[in-house]
Parts: sequence; structure tokens; C-alpha cells
Amino acid sequence: MNNTELTWVLLAVALAQTLAARILWRRARLYHRPIAAYRVLPEQAADAVESSNRIHFSLGSSALGESSSLSALGAAEVVYRLSERLAVSRQTPLVTLSQPLTLPLAQDTLRRAYEFRQNMAHYRSSAAAWYPQGARSLSFAAGAASLAADADVHSSVLLGRFGVEMALLGESALRHDQGLIAHSDLPEGQAVAFVQADEALLGEELYVAAAYLNGSPLERGGVVALDVLRWLVILGIIVAAVQAAV
Amino acid sequence: MATNSGAQRHRLLNFLATVIVISSGLVTLIGLLSDDGSTAADTARFLIQLVTVIAAVAVLAGLVNLVAVHLGRFVRAERGWPYSVFVLVVALVVGVLRILDRAEVWSGDLEGEQISVRVFESVQVSLESALAALLVFFLVFAAYRLMRDRVTVWNALFSLTVIVVLVGWVPFEDMDVLRDVRDWVVRVPASAGMRGLLIGVGLGTLTVGVRVLIGQDRSFRD
Repeated sequence: MNNTELTWVLLAVALAQTLAARILWRRARLYHRPIAAYRVLPEQAADAVESSNRIHFSLGSSALGESSSLSALGAAEVVYRLSERLAVSRQTPLVTLSQPLTLPLAQDTLRRAYEFRQNMAHYRSSAAAWYPQGARSLSFAAGAASLAADADVHSSVLLGRFGVEMALLGESALRHDQGLIAHSDLPEGQAVAFVQADEALLGEELYVAAAYLNGSPLERGGVVALDVLRWLVILGIIVAAVQAAV
Repeated sequence: MATNSGAQRHRLLNFLATVIVISSGLVTLIGLLSDDGSTAADTARFLIQLVTVIAAVAVLAGLVNLVAVHLGRFVRAERGWPYSVFVLVVALVVGVLRILDRAEVWSGDLEGEQISVRVFESVQVSLESALAALLVFFLVFAAYRLMRDRVTVWNALFSLTVIVVLVGWVPFEDMDVLRDVRDWVVRVPASAGMRGLLIGVGLGTLTVGVRVLIGQDRSFRD
């Protein structure tokens, strides 16, 4: 099987499983394994509203039109679900990012959340802030960390594509006594997230956010599809290892 | 009445956005999986080039956003506003330097020089290097904090691995065993874990991709 055929097969399996799980979800209750970060995030949003503080979301260098497009969409989904809850407050969430193409996505995500809550009076497009990215993204991290520190932030939620610059953002969040939830689709960023965050989202956990934060049956079906694909890959690896050993 | 027509317009726009996203996504996917030179591949390449052009325009939008954010902080005298003034001044200075570079106004020793690039390299790269040097301390302190706050098997394993790898890099004599252990840790478990994470990310993007392709992603649904 070549790469093209494999891609079509994986897409077909993912689509079939998503739709099948959607139908199953309507007939019987399916349980997903608990993910601590998705339990904590709504609590942090509620705390931020009560204490009239902001939540800082950072999408890092996730960029639409590049290999991190779907990370950007996954992170935007989390931003939307939590901004829906935060939009009742006067304090607009802060979104920082380093890719200009992701800026309209971030602004539109916030706008939709405020529109949903019919609180457009408190929406500000400048709540999404772009920082130019230097050679190592560290200038972005320094700028975003400084902005978050000045903005009475209750928690920092770092989702998407980060390298080691996440350590700078994480250290600033911890130093200012902010909660920290972190994820990266790069291994080096993921290692930093594991060591610094109160709760880290690992690997594919970002992409199932919609299902865990009041998701629709189809979004919950996506989680089942992901589990099926994961087990297929595990079986494939075991079979290949056994074949190689024999 | 006006609300109804507004809602209808909103629904129509969403429908159009969904149609555009699904068709562009499918055309690009088919094109990327087709042979070079085929119509599908050429169409996909055209769509990707379109994204590149939009990205260039988006940099301008980003610059406007940067100025708006920091101007707003300055006008409202928010905490840290002097830094915002500094950002605005530096942005202006670098912009002017770039224009002067393009106009080739420098003479004497500076003739033919790209001053904006020189400023960038001497300031930005130096600062980023200094920040990069700090990262290792942040990470070691974070590992210490991890063990102080939550002692679990996984955290202990993580900290032990960090110590073994760091000590393994120290060029002591008669430390071949530690160096071998370090090499094994990097080559086998770290590499396997990294691949596992990347496979997970790949499968995650696949499921989100499917949701986008069937028009169920919230970005253009609501």
C-alpha cells in the first residue's frame, strides 16, 4: 500500500467511525476516558469570571495554510468554548499568536463567542495580539508573557505549536501565580508542557476538545474514531514487529 | 422582521463558507494525492499559492494589529504602557531604516549596507540567544518544582532521566557507562515516545480534518 492509498484508507476509516459513533451516541451513552485538563479548564473560566480577571490563550506559531493548520483549528475550538463562558464578563480574554494568518481566526473566534452571548459591547478585536516571530520564537514568547503579566491574567492556556519558547511563557505564568494548561504538537514543546503545566494536554488530546467541552454527538464520534485509529496503529506496529522478529 | 432577514443572511453566508471550505479542501486533498502535472495537482498548487499570497497580506494586517494593541495600551495608560511606546518607536525606526535601505541612501562606509538587517542581527538575535541560554535554568527549576509539588512515578522517572542525560553530557573520564545509558535513553525510549506523540498528533489532525471536510467544524458553521 503506497502513501496515497494509506491516506485514503485512514480518511475513510476516520469518517466511517465518526459517523458510526455519532449514531451510537444517540442510542447508547458512550464514555470517554477523563482528561484532567478539560475538567480544569471550565473551572478556571468560572474562576476568572468571578474574580473579574482575564484568561490568556496563546496559539503559539500555529498557522493556517501550514502543517499546523489543524492545530490552529483545534486550539481555536478550545478558545471558542471557553470564551463563550468568559464573554459574560467585562474582561475580554487575551489571545496571543505569532502567525499573521492565524490572527483573523483568533479575532473571529472571540467575536463569535461574544456574539453568541449577545455582549458585543465588550468585544475588542485588539484582544487578539500578534507578535512577530524571531529566529527562535523567543521574542514572541517574551512579548506575550509580558502582555499576559500586565493584564491581570488568571490562567494561561497555551495550545497549538510551541517549541522550547514555551518554557519562557510557562515560567512567567508560574511566577505570576497563574494557572497553566499547556499543549504542543511538537515534541520539545510537549516536554516543556509536561514539566511546567498544572495540567498538560498530550499529543492528540487537543483535537478532541470539542467533544469534552459540551460537544455534539458528531464531535464525540470523533473521539471514538481517534481511539479506533490509535488501536489500528498499535496493532499495525505489533504485527510489523512480530513479522520482523520471525 | 429585520432580525429574521439578518439571521437568513447569516445562514446564507455560513452555507457559502461551508461550500467553499468543503470544495477547496477536497480539491486540495485530491490534488496533493494526484500525480504531478495532472489538472487536480495543478489546481491544488494554485490554491496553495493563493494561501501564500494571503499570508503576505496577513503580515500587514498583523502589523496593523500590533500598532493597534500597543497604541491602545498607551492611550489607556495600562500597566506596562512605556514598553508599548518602546515597541511602537522601534517598529517605526526599523520601518524607516528598511525604506532607507531600499532607497540605497547610505554613503561612505555604510554604502551598500542593509542597516535594518544589521540592526536586526545585532539586537534581536543577541536578545534571543540570551533568552535561549536562560531556558535551561527554567527547565531544571521546573523539574525541581515538579518533584516538590507532585511526586508520582512518572514525575520521578522524568526527573531521573533528566539527571542521567545531563550528567551523561559532562565530559568526565571513566564515565562510559553513563554515556552509554544516555545514548540508549535518547535513541530508544525518547525516540519511541517522540514518535508516539507525533503519530497521535497525526491521527488527531486526521479526525479534525474529517470534521472540516464534512463541514462540521465550528470555524465556519456558526
